Amino acid sequence: MARKMLVDGELNQTNKEGAEYDFDLFVIGAGSGGVRAARFSANYGAKVGICELPFHPISSEVIGGVGGTCVIRGCVPKKILVYGATFGGEIEDARNYGWEVNEKLDFNWKKLLQKKTDEINRLNGIYKRLLSNASVKLLEGEGKIIGPNKVEVTQPDGTKLSYSAKHILIATGSRAHRPPIPGQELAITSDEALSLDDLPKHAVVFGGGYIAVEFASIWRGLGATVDLFYRKELPLRGFDDEMRAVVARNLEGRGIKLHPQTNLTELVKTDNGIKVITDHGGELIADVVLFATGRLPNTKRLNLEAVGVEIDKTGAVKVDEYSRTNIPSIWAVGDVTNRMNLTPVALMEGTCFAKTVFGGESSKPDYRNIPCAVFSIPPLSIVGLSEEEAIEQVNGDVLVFTSTFNPMKNTVSGRQEKTIMKLVVDAETDKVLGASMCGPDAPEIMQGIAVALKCGATKAQFDSTVGIHPSAAEEFVTMRSVSRRVTARGKAKTNL
Amino acid sequence: MATTSFTAPKLSSPTFQTLCRNFPLSLPIPKTLSSFSFHLSPFLSRFHLHHHHYHPPRFHPRRLFAVRAESENGAEPIRHYDFDLFTIGAGSGGVRASRFAANFGASVAVCELPFSTISSETTGGVGGTCVLRGCVPKKLMVYASKYSHEFDESNGFGWKYDTEPKHDWSTLMANKNAELQRLTGIYKNILNKAGVTLIEGRGKIVDPHTVDVDGKLYTARNILISVGGRPFIPDIPGREYAIDSDAALDLPSKPEKVAIVGGGYIALEFAGIFNGLTSEVHVFIRQKKVLRGFDEEIRDFVGEQMALRGIQFHTEESPQAIVKSADGSLSLKTNKGTIEGFSHIMLATGRRPNTKNLGLESVGVKINKNGAIEVDEYSRTTVPSIWAVGDVTDRINLTPVALMEGAALAKTLFQNEPTKPDYRAVPSAVFSQPPIGQVGLTEEQAIKEYGDIDVYTANFRPLKATLSGLPDRVFMKLIVCAKTNKVIGLHMCGEDSAEIAQGFAVAVKAGLTKADFDATVGIHPTSAEEFVTMRSPTRKIRQSSESQGNMGHEAKTAAGV
Repeated sequence: MARKMLVDGELNQTNKEGAEYDFDLFVIGAGSGGVRAARFSANYGAKVGICELPFHPISSEVIGGVGGTCVIRGCVPKKILVYGATFGGEIEDARNYGWEVNEKLDFNWKKLLQKKTDEINRLNGIYKRLLSNASVKLLEGEGKIIGPNKVEVTQPDGTKLSYSAKHILIATGSRAHRPPIPGQELAITSDEALSLDDLPKHAVVFGGGYIAVEFASIWRGLGATVDLFYRKELPLRGFDDEMRAVVARNLEGRGIKLHPQTNLTELVKTDNGIKVITDHGGELIADVVLFATGRLPNTKRLNLEAVGVEIDKTGAVKVDEYSRTNIPSIWAVGDVTNRMNLTPVALMEGTCFAKTVFGGESSKPDYRNIPCAVFSIPPLSIVGLSEEEAIEQVNGDVLVFTSTFNPMKNTVSGRQEKTIMKLVVDAETDKVLGASMCGPDAPEIMQGIAVALKCGATKAQFDSTVGIHPSAAEEFVTMRSVSRRVTARGKAKTNL
Repeated sequence: MATTSFTAPKLSSPTFQTLCRNFPLSLPIPKTLSSFSFHLSPFLSRFHLHHHHYHPPRFHPRRLFAVRAESENGAEPIRHYDFDLFTIGAGSGGVRASRFAANFGASVAVCELPFSTISSETTGGVGGTCVLRGCVPKKLMVYASKYSHEFDESNGFGWKYDTEPKHDWSTLMANKNAELQRLTGIYKNILNKAGVTLIEGRGKIVDPHTVDVDGKLYTARNILISVGGRPFIPDIPGREYAIDSDAALDLPSKPEKVAIVGGGYIALEFAGIFNGLTSEVHVFIRQKKVLRGFDEEIRDFVGEQMALRGIQFHTEESPQAIVKSADGSLSLKTNKGTIEGFSHIMLATGRRPNTKNLGLESVGVKINKNGAIEVDEYSRTTVPSIWAVGDVTDRINLTPVALMEGAALAKTLFQNEPTKPDYRAVPSAVFSQPPIGQVGLTEEQAIKEYGDIDVYTANFRPLKATLSGLPDRVFMKLIVCAKTNKVIGLHMCGEDSAEIAQGFAVAVKAGLTKADFDATVGIHPTSAEEFVTMRSPTRKIRQSSESQGNMGHEAKTAAGV
């Protein structure tokens, strides 16, 4: 493998079959996974090229930008808006702490948007620098695979360039998907939601996933009226049921109107705004309708059929445990493979890919105990198994420890909102199988807990850790009494 | 602390039958304890003194701890006691020990001074320092004071205030005190529910098994001293004009210009509080840096960050006198000169155990030169029937440590399970602004103890600060033993440090390695994820050659890609 350092521009690298390639690795897509894989491969000595679409906050088949979803249309701008929106509640809370704040507060959406855009531009620049510092050649344009070792890049001016590469990595991510209902073109997706010209006055959010609850929280926190529609009984399918119920209660407590088990069937343009019609026959008028109904892998225009790269029915590239597709020279990481669609997972996959292909060390991403967070207000964070998953997966009994409490800050602010924490433990081994929390700072708190879980920490080890007082996090190490024991048959035996 | 730690589900009291099983007549003396020079087990007493005088108001049915002691040298009649355990002081450690002891079936009484926000020889209150004059009111004041920073931050996120938010001191004090009243009530309730007899008054030890509370005598098989500590005021002229942390938590009006003498965590926390509540704050420290005993880099970093928020530090300045001017303002005279015009001068110059007038000398309980009660690993004093936990023993003066000591003691005494508190990897926080969270060794301690270590650091501008435009930064540090790869120290200064450190404390306590940290996937975007994405050491310290110098410093980008 290409362990020796290559000087940029020397194109005489030869592989064992004697074929010459322009690059050791060509990456399509400069998001989290692609940039990580490109940089690390280059650090191992590989000659790397990467292509990415031109930059714009709103993505399309021909628009993207170095940094990818996370930096431009995901984690980062979302978190910025969450910060902005959290101040709304904070200012309310300040009053009982003695602060005299004007009843009517002035919030300037355009200013926040401008600052968000500035920050994203800055990060876009940092990412470009990261690539150039690692001697990765960045090309602007749309990448297509035209052979197992051949990539074609269509530049913005239409010029087509083609490159040969020993390995090709697909890291094109995913895009928001709109359900095909009449009037769907009147709705926006998360891309546009992060770049609206004006703050919605009345927003309708359709979807029960993390994106839906995050935007509902953002707009509500900034003062909008928000109606949230989702198909299930509770939002956040796949998360721990108890936590889902808490999130729903908190969203409601913060003033979001919830419409569970309700589908949107039609959107109609009217003079007053968008008329939203539900399958329950309900109607309301909103100025913004957000579809947060899932994301689909960006595989349509990659020409994968022509070279025979297999995709599944959702359009995700099929890969093995090492992120290799059915074509040995073609690999894929990140959301385009639809494994676990999180930035840090794409980073892990990119790192493992670089190690496997250029680091001389076969390396599989490990998907166990991956923590994640939902930045609703207040946020939810989890690691490991939900109570339901644990009951299903564990042979013996499962012990559930929960703590529901009024956070200290609320004792003076008067905010009626409980924090809830939960540990799910294997009764036989005492191993902590899952941890979850909904409440302020949950994502920051969960990271350290994730280290403990990753290494199979036991409940006894949690208990032996002294608390940090006064914190919310200390509850995780002071849960003394089991809330319930679920027997192997999955029936609650006691409910203390 | 979550306020519902109080409402945590109770351990159910063992039934009478269970007690019989747990404490059979042939109760063995725990090995670890029986090896002590004295010849008493915590459960069996060979004293033969008559159960005299007084019956407490709520007399518990005699429980089985008073079973007949069948000692090997024959049948000595047993002594009856009013209580199995009498606790002096209902703070964190005392309440925990009492509750748990009662839950294990013991008959327990606890005495505490009447409630007041200011402690003295005659005032205290159920809940103790933590609830009434420490952690809780302090944290409430921190919450209150943090808002001014949040208002500044919010400007960068598009929020605007027609008139600058003003702070009304009396609203805060009233709401804070209402919460303290609520909490002291909850604590009383907890004791009551656990069947612990609460006696208001000042407890004094009369003999190894007798406590005098304001003239009434109570006998107990075991006595627990958990009277805590109180602020120490150095003997300088004008000290009567100064306030301590008790008073600082309950001032009638906002201090306009305050001098804080001291560089420890209490000084820094109050500096942050007063600064946030818009006082002019000057901190006087004897050393070059704040927070002696903390990691050197953390000491530098927190000092810088606090100075950026407007706190003025006067280093290497020791207080010599406080002078009151005709206009009522105070001047602080130090070795370097005099600064005038203070409305308040706060002395945050340490705390001392409350061991005066407890009758310790007369029964022979040994105290050290600081006045702290000397105890063994099981919290036993030099008098076998007298025990002590919490700040009065001056081990690690933290509420959760007192809780640990109290819980361990209850187990040792009443569950036939001698338990030593474990002081390894005890995490702690300083609620300065920005706060500090830490667990394990400082770099300096680690070098001393392990010699060869790898140090990983990150110093970055968090996402929030890039938007707010404020100069806030975050500093994080991991200290790894080079030989075992174990993470032996973790330090952080920056927003949410205290909350972040807790989970990592579990990992450090469990002895996890740097590789374990690296194998953990980050939570994005958080500050905490930085602790699992530190790829290259900042420096490698080897005994042979002092340091391997800088290994290069990766800039934190938003996604760390």
